[in-house]
Amino acid sequence: MRSQLRSVHITDCALVTGLGIGVEQVWSELLAGKTAIRPVEHFCTTNYVSQVAALVSGLTATAGTSRLYPLLEQLLEQLDDVPGEARLITATTKGAIDLLEDHYHHDCQWDQPGNAKAVVPGAMTRWISKRLQLADGGMNINAACASSTLAIARGAALIASGTVEVVVVCCADLVSEFVFSGFSALQALSAQASRPFDRARSGLTLGEGAAAVVLMSDTAAKRYGRSKLAEVCGWGAANDANHITAPARDGCGLIQTIHQALRNAQLTPDDVAAISAHGTGTVYNDMMELTAFNAIFGERNVPLSSIKGALGHTLGAAGGIEVVLGIASLNDQLVSPTCGLEHPEPLAQGQVSTIAQPFNGDGNGDVLLSTNSGFGGVNAALVLRRGQR
Amino acid sequence: MMKCTIRGFGWVAVNGLGVGGSNTFKGFSPGELPGVQRKDLFDRPDRRFGRMDPFSRLGLAAITFALRDAGLEQWQDKRPVGIMAETFSGCLYTDGDYFATVIPEQGLLASPQLFAYTLSNTFLGEAAIRFGLTGNCQVVNSGDKCGLSTIRAAIETLSWCEDEKLIVGYCDLSDQGALNAPGALFMVLEPADGVAQPASLSLHIDEHGGLLCNDQPVDNVAMLVEQLVVFCAV
Repeated sequence: MRSQLRSVHITDCALVTGLGIGVEQVWSELLAGKTAIRPVEHFCTTNYVSQVAALVSGLTATAGTSRLYPLLEQLLEQLDDVPGEARLITATTKGAIDLLEDHYHHDCQWDQPGNAKAVVPGAMTRWISKRLQLADGGMNINAACASSTLAIARGAALIASGTVEVVVVCCADLVSEFVFSGFSALQALSAQASRPFDRARSGLTLGEGAAAVVLMSDTAAKRYGRSKLAEVCGWGAANDANHITAPARDGCGLIQTIHQALRNAQLTPDDVAAISAHGTGTVYNDMMELTAFNAIFGERNVPLSSIKGALGHTLGAAGGIEVVLGIASLNDQLVSPTCGLEHPEPLAQGQVSTIAQPFNGDGNGDVLLSTNSGFGGVNAALVLRRGQR
Repeated sequence: MMKCTIRGFGWVAVNGLGVGGSNTFKGFSPGELPGVQRKDLFDRPDRRFGRMDPFSRLGLAAITFALRDAGLEQWQDKRPVGIMAETFSGCLYTDGDYFATVIPEQGLLASPQLFAYTLSNTFLGEAAIRFGLTGNCQVVNSGDKCGLSTIRAAIETLSWCEDEKLIVGYCDLSDQGALNAPGALFMVLEPADGVAQPASLSLHIDEHGGLLCNDQPVDNVAMLVEQLVVFCAV
């Protein structure tokens, strides 16, 4: 089937995270080992397990408006003109959920039709469609922390199958009191900044951010004169069918997902030069991932990293942010430092590091595996190949 | 161009709930949904069901009925079946219920139980666990006027993904979704293998991009529902 599929290229990308705006800035800060995690000030955290998150500077909202839209403005202004024919796929778990908080804090009725329309995730999709002047009204994908990975997978499949020529994928999630309090109540937050793949890890740190990628077929990239920054050459998705909020300990869903993505890319595990892991810093997620990677890659020490010790867990935006940074990673042949790491989990020894690690892979150094997993048992994987330089 | 068979469907509406083959399906109308009870779905006590929020109960009920109608409710080994669920408001009411536990004591009494259901895709995980479904499970918010983009997406997905079957449908507690009424409708789709199956419905995207149900053009969700109602009445 793959032989009948068309190539899918990332021709443009944009990024906003706690470490800054734009791929170059965020990537250089990451390589320098910087972290965006700092005390939360836009709501009271006194009664929560943690008081810190990775926050985007300067995001403010007046009463009745959401911090989501200034974030998206910073994102979209980085993109070159997006062709009007582009299909739009967005990914967010809670969108403008701060509007619901606002209604509660001001004792207003939030569940009136007009208010509901502004809070639901589809509101972000409509806003982006209008902002980019697209003919397509768009579709939002909500699959917890794998939302944007699945959005990019869907966009790639649409192009590969010949259904469309251009897709723009935009993803975003905020650090809100709603989500912060929930993860605190679940005892999933780390009191200090998270430490992915460390033996002493004790939970995740939330983050906020947004990413966008423009996907094009060969034909469209040529027609619009766009550079090919990277190729999305494989994708996969599977459910653990095991637990609502915890991963399957044997990594069955993630293993199935990675095998699917590699089959789709017509590659083998030996072709993978580096891994951008989900790496939330929770005890169970990280161990599940290492178990899955061990099952697939055996004793080969594939360099792997998690950016969540620096940028926090950005939920529905995580996969998109990791893909954009994956392009930089492939260009520089480096995986980023795993911030917060001190004593690696034994299964991760020789794979994770506090400094940037080079990868070259004997001529196979141009393939990166990017994975995400989330509540509801979802797993998603993308295989990225370095673009033409 | 792309053709699927509807193996079965399930529904929850203001006037009742059930499997597609029960001859009781009359479509969707405004009003108040019946509260879905465990005994409506399962013979045995079910602790998980008691914990679920109303949105998850609604969705799980329609998925359960769809799988039952398709003869796929019972299982031995996990199977590569995915779910694609369209919703407008999703778990918004649960969001409100959850945040109401956050406000009084500045988060001290925030309910982890309610928070677990403040993701609209949680009920897909419930269905995946209960029925051993390991396919791609996702909630989509399309908001298109005709409400059919999710059905198209499901048919497209079946043509390129590794899932053998895909459960696709709609789930909304409010009347702002594609059904224009509170309720849920899920269908079990599988690729048509070219062999005509007696007493089954088909969905088809033609070469012009039009959607057909049993070779009848459908331009919106209401027309699709009408086709299902007609099929049930025959």
